[in-house]
Amino acid sequence: MAFPAQANGSPRAVRSSEGSFFWRKLSEHRTALWRTASIGLFFLAWEIAGRIPISFAFPTFLETLDAFIRMTLDGSFLAAYAQTLQPLVIGIAISAVIGVGLGIVMGLSRFAEWLIAPVFVVLQAAPMAALIPLITFVYGIGLVSKTLAVIMLALPVIALNGYKAVRNANPSLVAMCYSFQGSWWQRIVKIIIPDASPVIFAGLRLGLAAGFIGVILAELLITPTGIGDLITYHRSVADYPEMYAAVVSIILVSTLTLAALEAFELRVLRPEKRRS
Amino acid sequence: MLKDFTRRWGLSVTALAVGFGLTLAAASQAEAKVRVAYGDIASVENLHLLAAFELAEQKGVEIEMTYLKSEDIAAQAVVSGQADIGVGGPYALIQKVKVPVRLFLQLSTLRFYPAVNAEFYKTWKDLNGQEVAVHSRGSGTEAIMKLMEDKQGIKFSKISYIPGSEVRTGALLQGNVKATIVDSAGRRLLQEKAPGKFIILPLDGVNATDEALFARQDFLDKNQKEVDIIVESVLTTWREVTKNPAIVAEWRAKYKLLPDLPADQVAEITPYFTELAQGKAFPPNGGGAAAAKDDFAFYSLSGQLQGDPASFKVEDFWALEPLNRVLGKVGTN
Repeated sequence: MAFPAQANGSPRAVRSSEGSFFWRKLSEHRTALWRTASIGLFFLAWEIAGRIPISFAFPTFLETLDAFIRMTLDGSFLAAYAQTLQPLVIGIAISAVIGVGLGIVMGLSRFAEWLIAPVFVVLQAAPMAALIPLITFVYGIGLVSKTLAVIMLALPVIALNGYKAVRNANPSLVAMCYSFQGSWWQRIVKIIIPDASPVIFAGLRLGLAAGFIGVILAELLITPTGIGDLITYHRSVADYPEMYAAVVSIILVSTLTLAALEAFELRVLRPEKRRS
Repeated sequence: MLKDFTRRWGLSVTALAVGFGLTLAAASQAEAKVRVAYGDIASVENLHLLAAFELAEQKGVEIEMTYLKSEDIAAQAVVSGQADIGVGGPYALIQKVKVPVRLFLQLSTLRFYPAVNAEFYKTWKDLNGQEVAVHSRGSGTEAIMKLMEDKQGIKFSKISYIPGSEVRTGALLQGNVKATIVDSAGRRLLQEKAPGKFIILPLDGVNATDEALFARQDFLDKNQKEVDIIVESVLTTWREVTKNPAIVAEWRAKYKLLPDLPADQVAEITPYFTELAQGKAFPPNGGGAAAAKDDFAFYSLSGQLQGDPASFKVEDFWALEPLNRVLGKVGTN
């Protein structure tokens, strides 16, 4: 789909200079424009579906928006996220340290890879929603269980990404280190890890995405706290707009966090990718 | 290419139409059955209900039970027409979502026991400024605790949420919580595992619906005969259980209900129902308007219902006709 201003010889593009200016401006921002249109269309479809209604428990977009604004203003979201973020932040911090560490060790040593990697591959493939209730048998229903749920989802992603990044470090850089007679330690710290850092960081970002899933699963399956409590409570008292607003809020928070991390990654770690 | 495309789509459209037709046929066939949605797994706690449904089947109403994960999924199934009768107390749903769903028979009232660790607390007053654990926000257990707060003139420092009475019982036994509220199975477990270690605090004046049967008004109107048979079966079963709680175990053997029940749970059947019968937990007259009034007050307090309880109308929540017809036949007890 091309805009008329870009299409060569389009009659509209040459008709008036004012018009062409308008189209040029538009095409400069066309990515943003299409994205907005896509979101707008989605909301429109939602509103229509809510008005039909496809289900009595399906609120319209405007009702949900209204609930969303109300819950933002009365501080329920603030209080909920203060609770939800605790296991998330602790879990991600632990997963980051252990995951990156294990990933590097696995990347450097075949023996460690054979020993550790299968565990993470299995964990990554396992349906976590079925495993989370088992945590409660051992660790009860408190913060520890929820943090573990986050770790169970985030750690495999982070460790496996770190391992692949280190294993696939640029061989010519490693060869260069050899030819300059770099020590084993220098090879790891000055060549391999810096070269692997973009992929390791991407792993951390994906780990955070998995962590969001983990914390919400934990809050829905273990005990309702924070945002999970808002979802279950409003469902149990049939406040469907509020329930949807809580669901939307967690999608929004995780999307924005991940988008911000991706922007940071592109800006700082992979400047060569920014243009593409 | 285009021909190929249309042929392919033509095929799938036909397949879709055939599939849809089959579904419709299946749906109309299934209409002869009364589909009951239950928001929990089958257990000792609902053996008497299963027995009542067996009785209804003998009188010619075919019943198909579906067990769902939670009560509000059962309520949604009833509203959307995927089930005919639900088990639960969906007052919030009836009030907030304008769908003509009505309760028509009370099955049980809330039976919960506030249990505290005797090492730390002896009476309600001791709980002033202390933390208690209940099932979930907006639940009946929370409402009971809030009600007692008002009655006793105390204030809890925090109400925490631990879903599942068996989980709260376990937490109490392990010492993770010091004050909570458990069901009768939990109470018996506490007395068995640690006699004297826990105190059950007295609870009076709580008389709210725990479970009731509900259905869409159009279903109740169209299937009066079936509904009456079900209501009558439940009422007679309830009265029999109250008279002779041991009969439930006999029914289980007779109707082959829950055949896979482990032996230790089989042994619990009679004590469980004896205790409930002594506590008059089986409403012999199916609730009705009086129960509705109690529920309005209680569920307003719990946050399920919003507004002034005095302004609620019974007919907005209950369909009393089936119950009145059956009570006219079997008499009040």
